[in-house]
Amino acid sequence: MAFSQLHGCSIRAICSSVPARIFDNLTETTEFDPTEVDKVVKMAGVRTRHVASEGICSSDLCIAAAKRVLSQLQWPAESVDALIFVTQSPDYFLPSTSSLAHRGLGMSDQCAAFDVGLGCSGYPYALWLASMMLSSGGLKRVLVLHGETPTRFADKSDRAVALLFGDAGSATALEKTAIPGAMPWSFNLHTDGTGWRDLIVEGGGFRDRTPTDASKLFVAMNGANIFNFTIKRIPALVEEALTCSATAPEAIDYFILHQSNLFIMKHLAKKMKISESKLPVTIQRFGSTGGPSVPLTITQGNLTRPADRALKLLLVGYGVGLSWGSALIDLPPEAILDHIVIDQA
Amino acid sequence: MNQEEALKWFAELFGLPVAGLSPDTPRTGISNWDSLGVLTLMAALDESFNIVVNDADMRAMQKVGDVLNLLRQHGKLT
Repeated sequence: MAFSQLHGCSIRAICSSVPARIFDNLTETTEFDPTEVDKVVKMAGVRTRHVASEGICSSDLCIAAAKRVLSQLQWPAESVDALIFVTQSPDYFLPSTSSLAHRGLGMSDQCAAFDVGLGCSGYPYALWLASMMLSSGGLKRVLVLHGETPTRFADKSDRAVALLFGDAGSATALEKTAIPGAMPWSFNLHTDGTGWRDLIVEGGGFRDRTPTDASKLFVAMNGANIFNFTIKRIPALVEEALTCSATAPEAIDYFILHQSNLFIMKHLAKKMKISESKLPVTIQRFGSTGGPSVPLTITQGNLTRPADRALKLLLVGYGVGLSWGSALIDLPPEAILDHIVIDQA
Repeated sequence: MNQEEALKWFAELFGLPVAGLSPDTPRTGISNWDSLGVLTLMAALDESFNIVVNDADMRAMQKVGDVLNLLRQHGKLT
């Protein structure tokens, strides 16, 4: 079982970022009948989405967020020991997007930087990696950048995805700490590769570099299989996360779910008996932004933050892979949450 | 649950009048039983009866009676 419990890490700041262009599904969609659009919007919950222009990539969204984080924390770029970039919509096949971010942020050559190619489960995985690096060795500061531009691989004529996706980036600053009695962070991570076809961009990779069928350059989703995966795996994951960490559900301040689809999230909440007040929802404004929807929901989900204690958050990512995971973390009252809108790269 | 109750459940799910709905009503005769309707039906089967249906079985359902048969197979309809 991929369960880890790690001590000695803290989130200092999270900044999310979105492109300025807002697309209103109800008033701007021309590809489908308005009645159809209305139905999809009601079900998936996405009224508006932020869409990146051609000039904006995941790196741009994340670099802007990271600059804000470094500035607010007054961390010199060279003080960061490692940079993890999580994306499935990289600027290039190579070099890694982390190298672009490293350059864009003016970081030191003493900094470790690498990409993680995960999608909607990416944030819990990245926090797991970052906290392992902080708790196990000499690293003191790690930046996790998680950005996606899924609108770029959504076929506008595919009703299953055309109205669903939005673009977003994020930067999370983590630091090694030694607070006596601080709660350990817990991670439960899973994979089921048999579902690899259920959410896929078939073309463009080296198995089919230049597909004759251009639609293979766009994402294809088997909605029914993804739905089944979600309702089977996520309630079990949440139960496992609470059991492994010996945490009562009532002790969780917020369950921050990947914002996949409002219908699915509401179904999950009912199934897991989670009050909607503990389940922040941002999909109406931003669409499904992939894995960055988790940090985006932390900054934009209107979380009530007591001044005298840390929030206990159960972060849940799930999707393409199939891959799913949770991170049970605390968010100190002094941690900075911010959000920026980017006009151009 | 008997057949009458099951038909009422199905009708409410798809926002249809129960009158005129029968096991022989085809999927094509129910406008809301489209790809979004499939998810609605899957969620309702899970929520109300704890029945999880795979994609292939969902595609194979072509009339109301197929849904009733599924309920029957799981002991939810007598």
